[in-house]
Amino acid sequence: MSWISLDPGESRGGLESALARVLAIGTYASMALVAIGLVLFVAGGGSPLDAGPPLSLATLGADLLAGRPADFLWLGILGVVGTPALRVTGALIGFWRGGERRMALIALLILVVVGVGVVAGLVTG
Amino acid sequence: MDVALLMVVGGVAAGVFGSLLGLGGGLLIVPLLTIGFNLPLREAVAVSLVCVIVTSSAAAGVYLERRQANLRLGMTLELFTAMGAIAGGLVAFLLDERVLAGLFAAVLVYVALTMARGQRAAPDVEAPTDALAEDGSLPDPGVADRHVRAAPDHPMGAVERLPAGLAGSVLAGIVSALLGVGGGIVKVPVMHLVMGVPLRIATATSNLMIGITASASAIVYLLRGGIDVYAAAPTAVGVFLGATIGARLAGRVHVRLLRLLFVAVLLFTAFEMAQRAVTGA
Repeated sequence: MSWISLDPGESRGGLESALARVLAIGTYASMALVAIGLVLFVAGGGSPLDAGPPLSLATLGADLLAGRPADFLWLGILGVVGTPALRVTGALIGFWRGGERRMALIALLILVVVGVGVVAGLVTG
Repeated sequence: MDVALLMVVGGVAAGVFGSLLGLGGGLLIVPLLTIGFNLPLREAVAVSLVCVIVTSSAAAGVYLERRQANLRLGMTLELFTAMGAIAGGLVAFLLDERVLAGLFAAVLVYVALTMARGQRAAPDVEAPTDALAEDGSLPDPGVADRHVRAAPDHPMGAVERLPAGLAGSVLAGIVSALLGVGGGIVKVPVMHLVMGVPLRIATATSNLMIGITASASAIVYLLRGGIDVYAAAPTAVGVFLGATIGARLAGRVHVRLLRLLFVAVLLFTAFEMAQRAVTGA
């Protein structure tokens, strides 16, 4: 399969740098949220062995403003889980703009598979 | 308070060990949470997946910036690891925890034996320095590195035997989702030995792929209520800090001794997990 070259000279440096930034910002921002939530949680006397509340997207924003630790934690965890998909989305845009239709299609298919995971989780959950 | 602190400390230890030895955190985090904190195995796997994504994303950014990870190869393979991960994530909820514990014990023994064999075969080889990102990120497939270290690097060119690589990627995704590990123990040998990818590129590319692989199965766990944020938060923070510390310590620690100690820890943990598999306790 000659269309995947191992020669780093053929890579698009700009795209890779941009994706590296997406990963770094996503990871550090998410971990900052988790750390804030953890401090609030511990300060409130919580124990990690208590059963955590389920994710509620409907109330996430309002609860964040109210300073509920669990919602900081959930937002951070969602950020962690979503960062790789954000990287793939960035790659999709980069490949499409660069005229690499095959790689753009692969990126799109990865997002479709992740979407299938969301549906599977919702249906079986 | 005490339990949260203990989880952070446990996470730090897992992060430091993993970073120094080039191991994925999952092999350490799952036993830490199940044996140390008595969490159900499936819940520990879900927490571990979150931790694996954190460390992989941070490391993958560095590998991409340095052009060590091959973006095209990684994305092509991760399409298939993601498929495997979703299948594994769904299957994980169907399997008895005792079966999962048995599988985990088998993987721990495999990794311990691989490390011990590498110790004997290449006593002067330290943990791969290229697997330790300067920003403190934790690479996953160091054990796989040692597994394939004897194989010569191939010259740059097109990848070979892509269909076999795609099949191996599906398997890596299933293993990752079932056991909460990065899957580098499958991906790096497949890329290097089967597809002819140079070892450094295989290691870095595997790390890049871990993020979306673990993310695909983590989504399934999350939507099925399998992730407990209270347990995930201190562990993830600890592993993140530990990986950072580990990267700073790299080169100052006697890795050969550390590896021997680690083999003993892995074998002990495998025994504990095997006991759970047999007794269900």
